[in-house]
Amino acid sequence: MGLFFVVLSLMTLLGALGAMLLKNLVHCAIGLVLFFIGIAGFYLLLQAEFIAAVQILIYVGAVATLILFAVMLTENVIGETTLKGLGRNRWAALILSLVVGGVLIKAIGHQTFSAAQVAERVSTREIGRSLLTTYVLPFEVISILLVAAMIGAIVIAMERNKRMGE
Amino acid sequence: MIPLSWYLTLAAVLFTIGLYGVLARKNAVIVLMGIEIMMNAANLNLIVFSRFLPQTRLSAQVFSLFGITIAAAEVAVGLALVIAIFKMMKTIEVEKIEQLKG
Repeated sequence: MGLFFVVLSLMTLLGALGAMLLKNLVHCAIGLVLFFIGIAGFYLLLQAEFIAAVQILIYVGAVATLILFAVMLTENVIGETTLKGLGRNRWAALILSLVVGGVLIKAIGHQTFSAAQVAERVSTREIGRSLLTTYVLPFEVISILLVAAMIGAIVIAMERNKRMGE
Repeated sequence: MIPLSWYLTLAAVLFTIGLYGVLARKNAVIVLMGIEIMMNAANLNLIVFSRFLPQTRLSAQVFSLFGITIAAAEVAVGLALVIAIFKMMKTIEVEKIEQLKG
């Protein structure tokens, strides 16, 4: 247990740091994939197998591919045109994020959850049942949101093409 | 058994890394990646609570599913916007995108 936690922590931390700090955009995307897989490992460690599978499918499968496509469509990935480094407000960003992180960790020190016993694991059958009974309204709303986002993404990326063709 | 606060601290550190990337980097794609990292840290918190607090056992997992879906929708629209902006302005540096009128 402890060994897995340490390995997965290192994996996610290195992945996140790499994604945020590396210069080359493709390396950043690979760091992000490492981070996503580490998070899926945490879900397995916490016995949420279905969420782990969803994480792999959606993040490693779809989101990482989308980001790689966006990188290739926007910037020349090899050579000088890769955007370098940090913006002009990097120090303000560092201070602000350190303050936010400090507040979060301070708040965790004061938490009063009674986590004495561990909840039994949730089966996929239970998740499916509750999605179609208790949470059926959010489920439908999120379907509409997904369709709207899909149509929106297509329209945004297409309209510009048409205008450029004229 | 790993204590609850270790997981929460790790998620807080990941959230901080994502926040720094969003605020400090110039590239719009990296900013979107930072938002994804922050959302994943929040989702990790939800699953940790589902494991450690019996009263949130099922609802936390369902809620994290919704969170993953919303993140996927957000990244699709966000990257479409990035591509549209790049076609229009030939740059995706957030500091150089200053005008609202195309």
